[in-house]
Amino acid sequence: MIQVRNISKNYGTVIALSNVSFELERGKILGLVGDNGAGKSTLLKILSGDLQPSGGEIYLEGRRTRFKSPADAMKIGIAIAYQFLELVDSAMVWENFFMGRERTKRIGPLLFLDIGKMKQLTADAIAKYGPELDVDREAGELSGEQRQIIAVTRAIEANPEILLLDESFTLLYLEGRKEIVDFLKEVNKKGDITMVIVSHDLDLVKELSHFIMVLRGGEKMFFGRTDEISIDEIVRYMLP
Amino acid sequence: MKLARYLLGAVRTNLVEYYTWLLFVGIYLVMGIFVPTIFRTAILLNVLVQGTTVCLLSIGMTFVMLVGEIDLSIVAAAAFAPMAGIISWEMGFPVPVAILLTFLIGGVIGLFNGLMITKLRIPSLVQTVAMWWMLEGIVLIVTRGVAKAGLPNAWMVLGRIFIGPIPLLVFFFIIVVIVAVIFARRTVTGRRLYLVGGNREACSAMGIPVNRIRIISFMISGLFGAIAGYVSSSRMGFISSSFAVEWLMPAIAAPVIAGVSLTGGRGNFINVIAGAYLVQLIVMVVRAGGVSGYFTEFVQGLLVFIAILVNAGRQRVIGR
Repeated sequence: MIQVRNISKNYGTVIALSNVSFELERGKILGLVGDNGAGKSTLLKILSGDLQPSGGEIYLEGRRTRFKSPADAMKIGIAIAYQFLELVDSAMVWENFFMGRERTKRIGPLLFLDIGKMKQLTADAIAKYGPELDVDREAGELSGEQRQIIAVTRAIEANPEILLLDESFTLLYLEGRKEIVDFLKEVNKKGDITMVIVSHDLDLVKELSHFIMVLRGGEKMFFGRTDEISIDEIVRYMLP
Repeated sequence: MKLARYLLGAVRTNLVEYYTWLLFVGIYLVMGIFVPTIFRTAILLNVLVQGTTVCLLSIGMTFVMLVGEIDLSIVAAAAFAPMAGIISWEMGFPVPVAILLTFLIGGVIGLFNGLMITKLRIPSLVQTVAMWWMLEGIVLIVTRGVAKAGLPNAWMVLGRIFIGPIPLLVFFFIIVVIVAVIFARRTVTGRRLYLVGGNREACSAMGIPVNRIRIISFMISGLFGAIAGYVSSSRMGFISSSFAVEWLMPAIAAPVIAGVSLTGGRGNFINVIAGAYLVQLIVMVVRAGGVSGYFTEFVQGLLVFIAILVNAGRQRVIGR
């Protein structure tokens, strides 16, 4: 259960977020929508520990929580998958999967990478949620959907309580989108993971989320169940 | 039949990946047509031994290129560190300590570079040029332009003791190279150099200490500069302030020839070795051929140019 109370963020005179509050039950998916500059990414970055809010509080399971850094947030159980930028194109899939948390084995007094194990675990993890993928390829060779699956699966592997996804779907074509939606539904169901998804794709958000929040100019314009609002109404809230 | 096909496939993949060696052997053979003497053992040995200097410098440079930076001060470290080491010996420290100090100083130079570049956000090009001038300047001031000779026997061990026709320094060099390759390919920090060079933001987001990795890359290049300087001094018997200045461009050319990406994230050390020896070979042949030394630079530049073209063509073939 996440409770966000009066979160604000300003950069000098520029107000990115203004008194945004909402509650999200465990295991539910929140679709965060809004026009460019509405503050969606800012809010997500605050939740992931990448930015510090100028005001307001965040409560996780009733406890006041503060993240000083993404690493901090990761420890608490928040994982974020960014807009497909967070893969190293020149590195292999398994390297991308384990970056920052590489598996090692001891040979004598020294620690070496356990490459075989990492390849195996990566293949297993990906197979759990989607179609098979050759983990020995460079990440740059993958399609948009595959990159997305890697990024999200990687975020999931940390067993997060809360998964944040930022604009991760922009490049996907129609067929790929269905793959992703099914994939994310699986992830949400299987792990009972709370999710906050930022997207410009209203159809996708409508299909995937339990709740929708519309931001405009840093302010919350609407928060409610997905089935309580139509796409037209969402758009009307989004635009001035 | 399947075995043959598999072997052929493996050979082809390796040829593509280690193409720099192909280039090296190819050019060696071609040169041999014009200058058959280069196939003589004595010459081969000469190339092998003398090439260790540019090779060590190239490897050091590669570590920094992996994270998308450059270290122009590596040649200055190659002059300054051994000089400081010898001075410490003159001050009374035993030779082994002086040698260790040499390596340590190389690392410290790198540490300083790394800190300036990460904390003060000074571009590596600017920082390392400044460091290069400063260090060269200090060496000149201290040596007054005169090479430091009279190095103790213990210091000269690598260059003076032979196993058969091969000086100890070659074995030392091989060990250093093996350690470097294992480090780059099989350790967490080594691999992270590639990752940071490939996408800094991604690494940051995944909790990899990007600045620390960058600083480490400079410490490694500083260390390799010091090692190159030490090995060279043990061979030549003196430390000169003008040492290695002529090796800066080759130290950059070799990784480029080997396909190391200047923007970071890609680099095969085995190829860098071939690239370094290729450059060394060309330098030696041009000089031995009695052609004016100025030609060397032109040829090197031409080689780098060709290497860039070959690399671009190769990437097209692979489909990157």
